[in-house]
Amino acid sequence: MADSIEDMIRAYGLTKHYGGKPGKKAVDDLGFEVLPGTVTGFLGPNGAGKSTTMRMLLGLDAPTRGRATIGGREYAGHPAPLHEVGALLEARSVHPGRSAFHHLMALAHTHSIPRSRVEAVLGLAGISEVARKRVKGFSLGMGQRLGIAAALLGDPATVILDEPVNGLDPEGVLWVRNLLKSLAAEGRTVLVSSHLMSEMALTADHLIIIGRGRLLADTTVERFVRESGTGTVKVVTPEAGRLAELLAAPAVHITGDTPGVLDVRGTDAEHIGRTAAAHGIPLYELTPQNASLEQAFMDLTRDSVEYVASTGAPQPEGAAA
Amino acid sequence: MSSPTPTRNPAPPSAAPTTATTASAGYRLSTRGVLRSEWHKLWTLRSTWIALTAGVALVLAVGITMGATYDGDDAEIDTIVFTLFGTQLSQICLAVLGILVTAGEYSTGMIRASLTAVPTRLSVLWSKAGIFTAVAFAVSLVTNVVTFLAAQIWLAGSDKELTLTDDGVLAALTTSAASLTLLSLIALGLGALLRSVPGAIGAFVGGVIILPEIAAMLPLDAIDTAVRYFPAQAASSLGSVARVENTIAPGTALLTLALWAAVIIAASSVLLKRRDV
Repeated sequence: MADSIEDMIRAYGLTKHYGGKPGKKAVDDLGFEVLPGTVTGFLGPNGAGKSTTMRMLLGLDAPTRGRATIGGREYAGHPAPLHEVGALLEARSVHPGRSAFHHLMALAHTHSIPRSRVEAVLGLAGISEVARKRVKGFSLGMGQRLGIAAALLGDPATVILDEPVNGLDPEGVLWVRNLLKSLAAEGRTVLVSSHLMSEMALTADHLIIIGRGRLLADTTVERFVRESGTGTVKVVTPEAGRLAELLAAPAVHITGDTPGVLDVRGTDAEHIGRTAAAHGIPLYELTPQNASLEQAFMDLTRDSVEYVASTGAPQPEGAAA
Repeated sequence: MSSPTPTRNPAPPSAAPTTATTASAGYRLSTRGVLRSEWHKLWTLRSTWIALTAGVALVLAVGITMGATYDGDDAEIDTIVFTLFGTQLSQICLAVLGILVTAGEYSTGMIRASLTAVPTRLSVLWSKAGIFTAVAFAVSLVTNVVTFLAAQIWLAGSDKELTLTDDGVLAALTTSAASLTLLSLIALGLGALLRSVPGAIGAFVGGVIILPEIAAMLPLDAIDTAVRYFPAQAASSLGSVARVENTIAPGTALLTLALWAAVIIAASSVLLKRRDV
């Protein structure tokens, strides 16, 4: 089934204004493609516009400008929408007074999906035993599992999940991770949002990163790691101040939290070592460090975070010792 | 209640989605499917059973009480109006149920799941309206007939003795059920329009029941005439064997109520298509 290029998600110049006011844009001229057969991570800080974008893909919110298609058509244009796309939305979309089984059965009826399929997805999500209980009593994790069961109900070619690991225990997180990979391996298109880079690094092949509604990066996880920084080099020396001055260059960033320790970015260990040797500066340690993915993500989105904690001291940055 | 035993996750997560692939070719969104879905949704909530049971019980209890305690004092009141006095109370139960059917989906977030399954949207609202109308009318009609027959056990031999086959009796019992249903359908439409359960209940009680009564008190003939075409006032000409004074004709009343309901459902349809969820 879902192995043709026809099943991809495309967004063209998607724009959404808050409350009809042009001033505040939740999503701003966003364009991207999501290909079948891979897990695509949709990343951004809180308030970046991930959920709004997903709601526009599903036709729940109308874009102010632009267009989104799934499998070559707008979502509402498909004869069997639940068979085309399965979605888990961030906000709970379940009547708490109904049981999990009846919730899924009500959705299944719309597409003439048989009861056996409802029972299959309940089993798949590991909630068969609580299926007859009202959703009211469900924990956050069980609610997420029910949402994922609903997303898989129509055996969809495309799966869109908004923060699926929210509220799940480690076992559940692992389950979602494997589920996403196997869905992609079956040739389905998988778009999954998160605000955690570390989680996406373990699950996704491709990354779409947004901040303040704008596209910041459209890349593979591998390339993101490679390009996100040359990595830093940790230098321990008694003459930190002098070495920092000698290394200073436009592309070089030096930070130092502890006296005598420098974190140097923008150059390599060889250059630092030669510079130190040429000036007779003793080095106690010279260690190249791979950039942490989370740090790279934070660097990329720093200018576009919506809510910055006021108590956290800003990271010292730039050629200062 | 503990979380579901995670170790019971079916072994390869790929198993279920793949196995269904062959059968899933028949999955298709259809109007019949949406009707079945709305039918299923209606009966799988406790609030439905509570509202309907309360509505039926109120009409029956009041009807039997009226019949059993009749001593000739209210001879001038129409027998069907007299017997079905409880519909004044069951009207609130049915209107609240209508509001829960639509606005209840917004307050719980269920609407997002409903409109993801049915992105064309309109068939969701129309199926809700259709199923609700059928259920409310059937329940009201049966309740009215049973209440009439029960009350007649005591009224037999009095000046309020009537049989189902007497002139106008079945028509009065039927138009009473129709007026209950159409007023509740207006409430359902208000629920879809306002997307809030308390908001819609307020609008129904304030705007449909109380406000016209106040307007009618104004000493202006034009307003007096206009108010007769308001939903609750039109409804008051229904459910009576004798013609009710100061109201429009029953046929006109039914048409008026149906038009009110149609206009409100149409307005909520337009907004349903246009608004973000």
